[in-house]
Amino acid sequence: MSDNKKWYSLDLGQNKQKEATASCGCGKTEGSCNSQKTELSADEFYEAAINASIGEERHRDGFEQVFDVKMDRRTAFRKLTASLLIGAGAVSTSCSAVIDNKTKEKAQIDWEEQFKGNYKLMTDEEKQGTINRLMRSYELRTGKNISMTAENAEEDVLFGYAFNISKCQGYMNCVSACVEENNQDRNSQMQYIRIHEMKDGQGFKFDNADDNYYHEVPAEGHFYMGTQCFHCDNPPCVEVCPVQATWKEEDGLVVIDYDWCVGCRYCMAACPYDGRRFNWSKPEVPENEINKNQHYLGNRMRKKGVMEKCTFCVQRSRKGKNPACVEACPTGARIFGNLLDPNSTIRWVLANKKVFRLKEDLGTEPKFWYFMD
Amino acid sequence: MKNKTLIYCLIFLFILGFCSCKEDGEYHSIKDKIENEGKPYHGKLTSDQLLMDSELIEITAGEHTFWIPERKGQIKSFACTECHNRPVAQMKGLEGQKAHWDVKLNHANSEMMDCTTCHNGEDMNNLRSLTNQNIDLNLSYKLCAQCHFSQFEDWKGGAHGKKVAGWAPPRASMTCVNCHNPHSPGFEKRWPVQFNTQKAIERKEGLDH
Ligand code: SF4
Ligand code: SF4
Repeated sequence: MSDNKKWYSLDLGQNKQKEATASCGCGKTEGSCNSQKTELSADEFYEAAINASIGEERHRDGFEQVFDVKMDRRTAFRKLTASLLIGAGAVSTSCSAVIDNKTKEKAQIDWEEQFKGNYKLMTDEEKQGTINRLMRSYELRTGKNISMTAENAEEDVLFGYAFNISKCQGYMNCVSACVEENNQDRNSQMQYIRIHEMKDGQGFKFDNADDNYYHEVPAEGHFYMGTQCFHCDNPPCVEVCPVQATWKEEDGLVVIDYDWCVGCRYCMAACPYDGRRFNWSKPEVPENEINKNQHYLGNRMRKKGVMEKCTFCVQRSRKGKNPACVEACPTGARIFGNLLDPNSTIRWVLANKKVFRLKEDLGTEPKFWYFMD
Repeated sequence: MKNKTLIYCLIFLFILGFCSCKEDGEYHSIKDKIENEGKPYHGKLTSDQLLMDSELIEITAGEHTFWIPERKGQIKSFACTECHNRPVAQMKGLEGQKAHWDVKLNHANSEMMDCTTCHNGEDMNNLRSLTNQNIDLNLSYKLCAQCHFSQFEDWKGGAHGKKVAGWAPPRASMTCVNCHNPHSPGFEKRWPVQFNTQKAIERKEGLDH
């Protein structure tokens, strides 16, 4: 880990222990033979917690870089409380003689994760650091491994999407594939994609549309169209986020740092397209159904009280694959590609089909076009 | 005097707005951005890896050159001449096992189409165009394109059909018969794969609106 980190590190003896084991006379393989060295007194702990939370003003952490304002008392207090809780956990484990190395490592990871900066401002090393911690933490908690990546946006790539309304038959394969790919909460049946069943001859009447139909499709006298996050080029959801937990990446993906989001839901209110979903409860996915190929900004496991939404499957698209919905659609109604490449199929669609977007007059510039045969 | 100040203010604001617009280097619409910054993509991402296990052939249709899946190797009963060792007309009266019992023609109607509209009875290993020329089974899209020309246009450009793998070049697109059964090309009515019971409950409780 780099030395000039933006947060205070708590050393619970993980690193020292390796050097010390040889000279350790107590014979214990686990526990607290050298915990004395790292044990914090109540005062030291208090100092450390304060340092780590509001001491940021001296360290100029990511939060400060963005806002460059003094933290008000309320924020400071909130952070302090959270820090104290984690700190208390960390200290009690480091002092304990019975708690094993794993628990200590877990506490250390929790600590580092609590005080990491905004992902948007991280260097590549820091990004690697946080995904390594998250993978290790998952392993410690469940005994299973996941693979998480942090690929950055590729140069000369701008993702765009086209949806053929005349092809969509309402089969919902896309929705299923999306839920599985992106580890969405099964209890609340969260879905990023909505397929709206609309009456022929009435145009787009979202109020009258049925997006929870269950009968054989396509139903007589109806047509189907899908909505999800449109990855606006001028996204109002990003503007309103008070903590800059959501932003537009260079390749056009509008993403969320689930660890930075405070769950205020401003973005949800600002999105004119119903693109965002909130975790009202702790998201749960059965262990055997978890998609273990994850991206930090994509389908990694979320927690209660954070926002999430479609990411055009960042974990797939940044590897050159199509999003899961595009791959799953049996009718070929979904087209995905690089808007900057004049040879891409999406560019052909934009140039040769009569395309339109929803609420174009808002100036949000969605990168999601509709067209018909 | 007051009016003047107001006007100066307005002019100042206008200039400010104009400048900031230019300085940002931002485009006024995504369309401008795409057109100005676009260039053929030769970056790090490719679909090569994803396509490695697929048997593909390169085709050129109009101004588009791309890959489609090879077909003959996928048809279990190919080559047809292993059974059809003489023209269909001569085989018709023969005693023997019935073949192709599983093929039900559900494509246009019998006035318009029968087996020999597409299959060449004289040369079973090939398909037959409307003008009696052979079409290779690997290039069956040429046969379909004879009637379905608008779909063909869209398919060539990429607005109809699916990619074999990812979005990144090289482009490999499914061909007609990868999604449509040529003997019964329409899609059936069926149940959607997903039903959100939670939403149904919320709706019943009146939480939806
Ligand atoms: S569709 Fe909504 S959530 Fe997605 S980028 Fe646009 S405003 Fe944001
Ligand atoms: S819910 Fe999260 S992402 Fe949305 S505006 Fe609030 S902090 Fe930002």
